[in-house]
Amino acid sequence: MKTKTRSWIIRSAFVLVLVLLAVLMLRIGRGHTIYFDNRALEYQGATTAAPYKITVIVNGEQISKLYEKERCSVTNIGDKLELTVEVMQQKGGSETTSVYSLKVPHDLDGVIINLPGYMAGLPEEAYLEEFIPAPSTEKDDEAPPTTDDIGLGEV
Amino acid sequence: MGNTTTLGNKTKLKELLDSFGLPRLIIAGFLLLLLIAAPIVGLDFATQITNIITRFSWNAVMVLAMVPMVHAGCGLNFGLPLGIVSGLLGATLSIELGFTGFTSFLVAILIATPFALLLGGGYGWLLNKIKGGEMMIATYVGFSSVSLMCMMWLLLPYKHPTMVWGFSAKGLRTVISLEGFYDKALANFLTIDLKKFGVNLVIPTGTLLFFALLAFLMWAFLHTKTGTAMTAVGSNPAFARAAGINVDKMRFISVIMSTWLGAVGILVYEQGFGFVQLYTAPFWMAMPAVAAILIGGASVNKASIGNVIIGTILYQGIVTMTPTVMNSAFQMDMSEVIRIVVSNGMILYALTRKTERGR
Amino acid sequence: MKTKKNFNLGSLISANSVPILFVIICAVMIPLSGLPANYLLNEVVTRLGRNTFLILSLLIPIMAGMGLNFGMTLGAMAGEMALIMVADWQIWGIPGLVLATILSIPLSILLGLLCGSILNRAKGREMITSYFIAFFMNGVYQLIVLYMMGSIIPIMHSTLKLPRGYGIRNTVSLLQMRQSLDNALAVSINGVKIPFLTLIIIALACLFIVWFRRTKLGQDMRAVGQDMNVARDAGIDVDRTRLISIVMSTVFASFGMIIYLQNMGNFPTYQAHTNIGMFCIAALLVGGASVDKASIRNVFLGVILFHTMFIVAPAAGGKITGDSMIGEYFRVFMSYGVITVALVMYEAKKRKENRTMGQQLANEQKAEEEGKTA
Repeated sequence: MKTKTRSWIIRSAFVLVLVLLAVLMLRIGRGHTIYFDNRALEYQGATTAAPYKITVIVNGEQISKLYEKERCSVTNIGDKLELTVEVMQQKGGSETTSVYSLKVPHDLDGVIINLPGYMAGLPEEAYLEEFIPAPSTEKDDEAPPTTDDIGLGEV
Repeated sequence: MGNTTTLGNKTKLKELLDSFGLPRLIIAGFLLLLLIAAPIVGLDFATQITNIITRFSWNAVMVLAMVPMVHAGCGLNFGLPLGIVSGLLGATLSIELGFTGFTSFLVAILIATPFALLLGGGYGWLLNKIKGGEMMIATYVGFSSVSLMCMMWLLLPYKHPTMVWGFSAKGLRTVISLEGFYDKALANFLTIDLKKFGVNLVIPTGTLLFFALLAFLMWAFLHTKTGTAMTAVGSNPAFARAAGINVDKMRFISVIMSTWLGAVGILVYEQGFGFVQLYTAPFWMAMPAVAAILIGGASVNKASIGNVIIGTILYQGIVTMTPTVMNSAFQMDMSEVIRIVVSNGMILYALTRKTERGR
Repeated sequence: MKTKKNFNLGSLISANSVPILFVIICAVMIPLSGLPANYLLNEVVTRLGRNTFLILSLLIPIMAGMGLNFGMTLGAMAGEMALIMVADWQIWGIPGLVLATILSIPLSILLGLLCGSILNRAKGREMITSYFIAFFMNGVYQLIVLYMMGSIIPIMHSTLKLPRGYGIRNTVSLLQMRQSLDNALAVSINGVKIPFLTLIIIALACLFIVWFRRTKLGQDMRAVGQDMNVARDAGIDVDRTRLISIVMSTVFASFGMIIYLQNMGNFPTYQAHTNIGMFCIAALLVGGASVDKASIRNVFLGVILFHTMFIVAPAAGGKITGDSMIGEYFRVFMSYGVITVALVMYEAKKRKENRTMGQQLANEQKAEEEGKTA
């Protein structure tokens, strides 16, 4: 009797560990596509100007140099990323580097970050927008093929 | 007195039910449902019947090919592709040698026969060496031979323009049209065409007569001395051996018969379908035949001509009616899934039943 | 003395005839194919990482006497369904793979239980039954993935669904998980990428199997594999042991499929699992395993030999006949052929054993009788 309950406890603990691990994976593994915009932002009457050039570096890797009205994108695993920006306000001016820890809402697949607004410290609803991809019109083959293959293909 | 008879009737019904098998009842019921649904969803009933009869005529001979080996205790002939390959060789060689029309059909059978005898002989010899594991090995012998022939179809020196690839003139095409050859050779013989009476019913009498001939020959054979010996080998090998019957020889003969029927079967199928399908097509052709005979009531070691007829009608009925009815009714085609579940489920059911004599 | 040496060499060759045959085939075809050594090595290492785990799942049922488990396809399906869900939930990289692995466990256990209980009702015919269970389950898989996913089972991203609105499309892209396991600790030597993390996981699986053989359950399985009746008399619950062996195999297969698919990067939803069983079994047999005996050595030898042949055959065929299709058909033929040969050898051996056992029994009886009369 005792060993039976003991093995049940061990099994339940094992299952619990797996469930917790799964939940952990759900939290840390969420993938996002983040778009960075370098454009002027209007919010509550005030306009935040866009600098001449922003160099976007995410997690240590340089993504792109954004001039005004340009956009770049990066994919990231997890809700947090380290954003380094090298900002050049005027053409030929000096560059200032700042490091931020950007947090993205867990539920959104794609987000657009307005960099000038973000750097100005505006609230999230100002600089963050959900990215909704245009519905793709590619015509995928309608019906799945009848699986009559005998193994001609790669393994 | 009265009570006992009613009780007796009840168990008899239950017995009938058990022996008929629940899956078969379900399948027969399903087919009935489809047939009733057909006119309701706007399909022409007569056309459906025509389709079922036509497909029956194409497939029945291949299902008949299952009978000899089941009788001899060699299990379900998953190695039917060997017979099919013989038939394909007969078909292609018949065309290559320049025969056309109905003659090409006869010549195809003629040429296929020695191949069937040869391949069936080798196959039968092999099966005798591995009594007990026939079905699995049969499957893989079938597959190996089809893939070997895939290479052969590319390499053999065929030259006939209707068969080889246009560009390089080397190697056979995947699908060869039989127009001008034996397309509908049997089906057009004595066809009963009710179209002129306004009913969309066309019965390919020629093919049905051909099948009836072969079925009759099979039935007759099973009642000869050799035939009964073969059945004895399948149902009780110990008794057969004790009675002095050469078990190996009986099995050998059954395999050759099965292979030859498979060859003729594919030729009959081709004349109905109108095309010769090479390369990977024969790969999967054993399963429908096996499923059909199982649906008809056969088991791993018991099969009758009645099983063949009922089974082919039920199986082909479901395979033809499901997509058409479902498409008309729901705009959704689940026929593929149903076909897979029905045929493989049937085979699984047969494999998991306790056999009459334990193996 | 001389005859003893000859006998040993002869029996050595016949015992390992299939691997030796494949060594010869590869030795002939590699130079014929004209493929550079680096490319070949890289391909073989990649496939080693990709397929080994799947082939390892075949070992346990062989140990339990259930023969070649064609039902591993069920585990593959479980892995695929888990991956589809994880791809839909947008969980990427290694966390996504871990999640998929965890999700696949209840599914593969369920499928394994189903497969195992059907196999317990078909004792003596396990292989062909598992073969058809795989086909049957393919129908159920299609029912779930092609009809229920997107309609009854919510799928959030329309990019995964067919244009008609429900059902998963023909190819599921695993772009964000692609090679995340392989790349994690990859080392590139001379153009050959070695996926260390994958190999470590494979090594862990091998260790597990070695450890498992020594546990009571493992010993029980081997006993059942040897002789079911003797095991039953010894008090082992034969049906339960066989069931567990299939469940373990199915779970292993689902893990293996996840590893396989993360390497591929995308998968043909309805085709990925159709031949995976056949190819893994062929590879195992090429490595010298038989229907009733397989070791880890067979797995590795088999992967290397089989996949080398697989890679060079189309190229070699192209060089010889100008049509690489010959090579592709050839490698398929070799796969089926090797399974056929293994099955035939197994059955022939079984019959010979029964015959010699029967002969032995008859001799013993005769000796007893003579002893009595004497």
